[in-house]
Amino acid sequence: MSDYEGSYVVPPLVAAAHELKAPLALVRQLTLALQDDALSTEDRRRLHHQITLTTERALRLTTNLTKVARLEDALFDIEPINPEQMCCDVVAELTPLFAAYGRSVAVQSRRHPLLLVANRDLLRRILLSFTDNALHYSEPGTAVELQIKAFREAGVVRIGVRDYGPALSSALWRELQKKLKTAPQSVHARPESSGLGLFIASQFADVMSGAIGAVRHRDGATFYVELPMSQQLRLL
Amino acid sequence: MTRVLLVEDDRWLAELYESVLQRDGHTVDVAHHALAAMDVIENNVPSVIVADVLLAGSTIFPLLHELQSYGDTGVIPVILCTNIADQFDLEALKTYGVVRIIDKTTIDPADIAASVRSAL
Repeated sequence: MSDYEGSYVVPPLVAAAHELKAPLALVRQLTLALQDDALSTEDRRRLHHQITLTTERALRLTTNLTKVARLEDALFDIEPINPEQMCCDVVAELTPLFAAYGRSVAVQSRRHPLLLVANRDLLRRILLSFTDNALHYSEPGTAVELQIKAFREAGVVRIGVRDYGPALSSALWRELQKKLKTAPQSVHARPESSGLGLFIASQFADVMSGAIGAVRHRDGATFYVELPMSQQLRLL
Repeated sequence: MTRVLLVEDDRWLAELYESVLQRDGHTVDVAHHALAAMDVIENNVPSVIVADVLLAGSTIFPLLHELQSYGDTGVIPVILCTNIADQFDLEALKTYGVVRIIDKTTIDPADIAASVRSAL
């Protein structure tokens, strides 16, 4: 057997290029499919919608990349943020994409309100990235959930994006844990992904004194960001 | 009528390729990851497998390795359809039953049908 057996290791630059190439290749194929004269109006409309949504995904990724490149020089406003409201905004933004894939996304609401401290734009981008990633690894008919937990002793709030999809192999999981904060990763977080999204998320979390991580489940995974809890509510 | 197993985790591409192959007269089974593909193969051994490389859950290679372990599945021709075609050497992959590697970034969807015809 050749070197490809078991786990094919993608070189980092190739992995990053792949992640950017994948939506472009999809748009190209969908565009070529539009040239079919036999398509019904409904099929044509569906393809147009898919092209728009895929282009938006690619734009989100490239915008995040340019933002990462400027992180060291930039100053970011940090403010108290209601994580549940932020999750609701992300869900509202991605619902059309999920619907187009026949999936759903929801926020697991909390009884007690929380506040965390973060930059609104960077946190939004992390959550969009995790949720978009979850879409592609969830099984049809399952809902991706955004979950908020407080770790009061540690003084952090965790926002997790839980998907229900094929389990990661132990080998891939070990590589993911090892390389969660280095990247673009040579072994991707999920095989279809270069880990570029995780790298971007970890960079964004770093500048907000936060961290990212992942939990493996029997039926999927949770990717999360942890950020400092705001003390404001305690003062009220 | 030939049976084609399409292993593609992008649902929209899978729909597109499935439609192209069906119009070319093939019966198409679709699996979105390698484990699902194994289940499909256990029920219906395909004449040809068209597979993406980077899939949810694992790459395609553990599946191809598994298929080589059995006489009936080891002879199924495999067409890899991937965005990273330039990373592979067809000669090195022939031990996995790979007969063709096509580049998703340059093909026309109709090329999938032509590749399947040539692999039969």
